[in-house]
This record gives sequence, structure tokens and C-alpha cells, in this order.
Amino acid sequence: MDIVLQQIVNAISLGGIYALLALGLAVIFSIISLINFAHGELMTVAGYGMFFAAAVSLPFPFAVCVAVLFAVIAALLTERLAFRPMRKADATGLLLTSFAVSAILRVIFQNGISARPKPVPLPSGFAGVIDLGVLHVGIVPLLSIVMTALSLASLTLFLNRTTLGKAMRAAAEDFQVLRLMGIKANRVIAVAFAVSGALAGIAAVLWIAQRGSVDPLMGFVPVLKAFVAAVIGGLGSLSGAVAGGFALGILEVLFQAFLPDAALPFRDAFVLGFVILILIWRPDGLIPAPVARRS
Amino acid sequence: MKNFRFAVLAGAIGIVSLTSAAAAEDITIGLATAQTGGLAYADQPSLAGFKMAVDEINAAGGLGGKYKIVLDIKDTRTDTAATVQAAQELVAAGVKVMITPCDADPSIAAGQISQPAQIPTLTFCGTTPTITEAVGDYMFGTYPADNGQAALLADYAAKKGYKNIYVLKSPDSAYTLRLPEYFEEVFKKKGGTILGEGTYTMGQQDFAAEVTKIKALSPQPDAIMTAAYEPDFPAFLQQLRGAGVTAAIIGSDGIDSPTITGLGAIANGIVHTTAGSPVAGSKLAAFYDKFKEKTGAAPETVYVATGYEIPYILDAAVTAAGSVDGPALRDALANLKDVEVLTGKVTYAGTNRMPIRDITIVEIQDGKRAPVVTAMPDPADVPKP
Repeated sequence: MDIVLQQIVNAISLGGIYALLALGLAVIFSIISLINFAHGELMTVAGYGMFFAAAVSLPFPFAVCVAVLFAVIAALLTERLAFRPMRKADATGLLLTSFAVSAILRVIFQNGISARPKPVPLPSGFAGVIDLGVLHVGIVPLLSIVMTALSLASLTLFLNRTTLGKAMRAAAEDFQVLRLMGIKANRVIAVAFAVSGALAGIAAVLWIAQRGSVDPLMGFVPVLKAFVAAVIGGLGSLSGAVAGGFALGILEVLFQAFLPDAALPFRDAFVLGFVILILIWRPDGLIPAPVARRS
Repeated sequence: MKNFRFAVLAGAIGIVSLTSAAAAEDITIGLATAQTGGLAYADQPSLAGFKMAVDEINAAGGLGGKYKIVLDIKDTRTDTAATVQAAQELVAAGVKVMITPCDADPSIAAGQISQPAQIPTLTFCGTTPTITEAVGDYMFGTYPADNGQAALLADYAAKKGYKNIYVLKSPDSAYTLRLPEYFEEVFKKKGGTILGEGTYTMGQQDFAAEVTKIKALSPQPDAIMTAAYEPDFPAFLQQLRGAGVTAAIIGSDGIDSPTITGLGAIANGIVHTTAGSPVAGSKLAAFYDKFKEKTGAAPETVYVATGYEIPYILDAAVTAAGSVDGPALRDALANLKDVEVLTGKVTYAGTNRMPIRDITIVEIQDGKRAPVVTAMPDPADVPKP
């Protein structure tokens, strides 16, 4: 029984990171129909933020702030320099722009910083474990769960209680009408990118807490997971992204834990197979966006 | 008339190319290596070392004292198709030696282009021992092969008195799959037991499910052997220690990076192989100092040193062959014995062109690596590729 409980904790912790990542994609997609494949590189930027902060021996909490700040700045810069000039383009054009941004950033990291992974030292307590009777919860998974919960709570507050948040939700439903109401489009979009960057930064901290290093190609796997999670949840739907993230995390952990050994190397095939079943059952995702959007 | 003109033209071209070849005794080395993309982490530092050695050799007169090296460098972007194209261009340009990326697949693909053209081809640090057989007699490895590393590690584990070992591998690459399998083969032969096997997906970096399984093992393994590297290895280690598993860790040269020592106390006691360890006073340490002096930054990895060694291996071969002719150079390379390089000795004679060379096992303690043993693996132990 305790092994099942343990795996449930594992699933929630992994699902939480995926949820943050998928949410980062969904916030932008809901407003300008862009699937930002450079989202992973925002995580890498945050990782280098942590690396540089550690290099000047800032304490860990400050390093986390620097990381999130770096990701937000990078998100705003990519919006200003790459996506805003392309805003009139169709969904495909925007998608290709995001691939280009991603590729350019990776080459800049490789040739400007280092092709080798850079170590990000973590506080020594991070490898520790908290004993809750039958459950042993590692500090990092616990931190993931707590930070995910906090981030989701503050994002919900932001979207529901502030004018800008309300404007973003309105933009997701009907951008044209929002502009007719006199809300500045550039401002709403920039805020969406900033929120997305912050989510990428937080996810990056949790991701790096597991691996202890940052490397130029680090963003590839997480953005792929985020994309799958966002699709399961329903593209453009914020609560869907969260549901999709948790669904993907739970699926991955369950298959890893309970597949027979001979089938384990094909775990991802099982996971993605299950994703297909979900999409057959609910073609628009678990919690579809209020306005159906397709790219 | 047309034929005559053609003959004159062909003759003229012939004379021009003859004179240009005779004017300087140059040897062009073509490098089809990955300076961007997923292999850049290995190919960039290898190239940095390689270039430094070429400059030194040219300053001293060239390969074998008379053949000045000219480099033709192409980036393969870690794309196998681009690697093949680069290899074709280099062969067409008439390179005499070719260098391929730090991985089996692109190296084999490029080797299949250079093999029929009789161009000796060396992989930067491809470690899969099947590379050379898959291509043919012009293909050479330079780096300690997976089966050699595994044999030395299994020998170490047996001598250390480990009985039960758990093995973690990933079918996503030859390195992460076959190296642990070679280890199992040798370790079982030496009387050890493989308690269980786990698999992971590269880049997944979530090991919670796997670790929970290891934690539930009874008896607990004496040690866990894996060829996982970054980012998987640090994630695995943190989650393993986080779950309270205390088994020793045996790793391979993929974790020879500053990230691992940067993990702090949980890295203590990790044992892994490396091509060389810069102990104070060693040739390698002197090279690291020289490299730092020249470039302003210390090498981030031993790949810089192994890249640096390749032109010197070629130098030994050209000296022995007395020419840069393909077949002669191939034979000379294949017969090299005990060539002194930075990290020890390299021998090709009697191998399938994956060299036997010194491998070092190091142990991590308090953020530092201390050599445990430096040795050539016993040929009787080394499993067949």
C-alpha cells in the first residue's frame, strides 16, 4: 500500500511541474493563438540566471528570484523583438517564428556561454527527505508540490481579482471585442508573455533542482511535455492546461511504476497511446477552451 | 577536335593540380564534427584541443616533421544526414584524414563515405566498440571504448567485494544500454550477482518511480551501476539519496563533469571511469595549465585533452608510415603501439582499431576527484563488442 501512496506523491509532484509548463503555453495560446516552442528556452535562460547568481554567490532564494526575473525579461524581449512584428501573421507563421526563436537562442547559448552543462549548486538540504510515517517525501518533490500550488493560487487570484487579469481572460474569449472596449492590445499581450515567462522561470527552478545543471538544449524535453499536456487539457484553456499537466504526470509515473519490466523501454509509447485514447474520447481536450480555437 | 581540346584542358588541370600538390607538402584533415546541436558538448571541446595540437605540430614542421596540416572544418549540426553530406564534400575536396563526431551513428555514417575512398577516419570520442567493425579497416576509435571501461569497472567492483549490483540502463543510446550490459557480463563472470535491472528514458529526469522500486528491493544492492549522464544522472542520484537508498554508485565517463562534483555531499563515494585525471604533476595537469594560459579558461572536460591527443597519434602514424598515403597511413595507425599521450599510452596493434588505452577510475570526495586506479583493462576481461 505504501508503495502506491509513494507513487501517488511522485505523480503529483511531476504533474505539478508539467502543469506549470503547460499553463505557460496556454496563457499565450489563449490570447494570440501562438504555441510558443521557445518556452523551453525561457527555462534555459532562467537556469543560466541561477548559474550566474550562484557564480556571484547570491543565496539560493535570491537566485530563484533572479531566475524568474531573467525568464520574464527574456519572454518580454522575445515578444517585442520576434512575435510583435509577426503578429499579423497566421498561426503557422507564428509557430515557425517560435521555432526560429528557439533555435537562435540555443545557438547563442552554445556559442556564447558554453556547449557544456553548467553546474547549478543547490542547498545541501535539497537531497533530504521528510518522513511522514509510511511516506518518505523528498524535499524536491515536496517543494514542487508547494510551489505549484502557490503559483496556481496566485495566478488564479491575478486572473480573477485584477483588471489586467480580467482583461487577459476577456482577451482569451474575444480579443477584438476587448480592443473595442479600449483596452490596449500590446499591454495585454506583453502581460501574457510576462506571466508565461514567470511560469517558465518557476518551472525551471523545480526542473533544475532535480538535475543540478543547466545546458543549452535543456528546454527541449519540458516544452514537448508541456505541449502534450496542453493538448490533453484542451489548447488555450487554462484550467485544461493544469488538468492536462497532472494527467500526463500521473500517466508517466503509473506506467513507469506498474508496467512489466520487459515493456518498460516502451513506456512513452504507452503514455502517448493513452493520450490518443483521451483525445478520441474528448477531441477538444479534458476541459476545452471557451471559444474553440484550432491552429 | 573536341577531344583534343578536352585533352589539353585535362592536361592543363593535371599540371596545375600536380604543381599545387608538390609546391607544399600539406596534408588536409577534414573535420565533419558537431559544433552545434546535441553533440556540441563533446565535439566543441574536442575540436578546441585538436586545433591546439595542430598549431603546435605545424610550428614544429608538421606531421612526421614534414607535412603541414591544413584543416577543413565543417559543422554537422548533430544531424546524421548533414554529417554524411559534410563527409562527401570533404572526400570530394581530397582530404587525407577525416575526423568524425563523438558518437557512433554519425561516425559510422561518415565512415561509410570515407572507407571506399581509402581515407583513414578517426572518431573524436565515439566509445561504442562496434564503430570500427561497422565501417571497415579505415575507421579508428581514439577514446576508451565502452567494453574496456565496463571491464575495468566490473573488476573494481569484484575486488571491492560487492556481491549484489543493481543496473540502471536506457535503451535510448548504445552508450547507456551497452556499457551497463558489458559490465553485467564481466561482473557475472567474476562471480557477482545482478540483483535487478531498471530502465529510464533519457532526458526524462524523473526517477521517482524507478527509485521507489529500488527502495523496495530486498536485499538492498551493494552498489548501483549505470552509464547515465547529465541531466539524468544528477536527477537519479538526488532522488535516490532523497529516498534514503545508500548503495554505492558506479558510473562511467559520461559523469566526468563539474556538475557532479557540484552536487555536494550526495556525490561523495561515487566511483566512475574517465579518460584521464589531472593529478598534480601529471602530463595532463601540465596540459590543463597550458590550455588555460592560451585560452584564458581551464578545460571544462577531458575531451579537450583527448581531442588534443589525436593529432599526436596521427603524427606517430605518419612518422612510422613516412607518407600520408591512405593505405600506408591506415597500416601505420593499425600497428601503433604504446604511443605516449597526455593520459597514458595508446595501442592499436592487436585490436579491432578501437584502441586499448589507459583508463582511470576516480572516486569523488568532498567536491574533488581522486584517482583510484589507472590501468589498461585486462584483454581477457573485455567482452566482445
